[in-house]
Amino acid sequence: MTAAPGTASRALAVFVSLSLLSLSASAPSPPAVEDAQWLARAVVATADNRAAPFAVVDKRNARVFVFDAAGRLQGSSPVLLGLAHGDDSVPGIGEREMSRIRPEERTTPAGRFRTEPGRNAQGEDIVWIDYDAAVSMHRVRATVKSERRLERLASPSVADNRISYGCINLPAAFYDARIKPTLGTHRGVVYVLPETMAPHKRFAFLSRPE
Amino acid sequence: MNSTSRLLAALALGAAGAAFAQGNPPTTAPANPATAAGQQNPSGGAMGTTGVTPQNTQIGSTSGSSSAPTAQSSPDTSSSSSTMAASGDTPAMRRARADRN
Repeated sequence: MTAAPGTASRALAVFVSLSLLSLSASAPSPPAVEDAQWLARAVVATADNRAAPFAVVDKRNARVFVFDAAGRLQGSSPVLLGLAHGDDSVPGIGEREMSRIRPEERTTPAGRFRTEPGRNAQGEDIVWIDYDAAVSMHRVRATVKSERRLERLASPSVADNRISYGCINLPAAFYDARIKPTLGTHRGVVYVLPETMAPHKRFAFLSRPE
Repeated sequence: MNSTSRLLAALALGAAGAAFAQGNPPTTAPANPATAAGQQNPSGGAMGTTGVTPQNTQIGSTSGSSSAPTAQSSPDTSSSSSTMAASGDTPAMRRARADRN
């Protein structure tokens, strides 16, 4: 008797999700928290979030931090990001087929994004980061086994978290617990910290007086 | 069992079925109105976003190949020209489309 196809991968997905949820409760590395909280304080001080919950994505540490409207940290989690390093999207990339996106073009853009709940072509509920560039925040999908996305999320290293075509992948349990109730039901703001330049070059509110 | 018994049993079964049906009014608040109405968008999105409606006209006007700017060097990407059908924190959902996974 053989196991049904996908049974093992489903079990692995559940295990990884539970493991990552417990990991998210543990404290991430201090520099990552400090960067995110520093930005969160500036966001709230300048009212840039317009009294809405928001998230900060730290690409260098491959981690997302979710804050309430007052800037209190609600949770954090490892994420998967675009394969290529860089802070811009290639013009017109949102209209291209996945198979025509070259590896060096698979960036997760940095900046301030007004997010909106939405659905992808498969009907899955997601959070659009940049609708026109087809960049979203969604539950990790283990559809291509060779990509080993679940294992990459579970590993302590951040170097292997660069695998997506630009979207931000989160553990399903964290998405359901932290993202869906906030950014998944209302418009919000996500700040993606740049990795090739200083933050103030991407966030105009950092240059404004408080 | 004779024919009279069979007839009585059939009548009782029919009456019970009718009574059950009468006791279950049709739902007026289906979870998915599009599905309940027998209409379903083949791409998985909400009905109306692929047809010609005033709402879709607005979306369609910005969904061309040279539509809104993407997240480029602009420091603030919140000012996309691909506007929502409604404003506020709970806007109408945009057309379902493929993401970059």
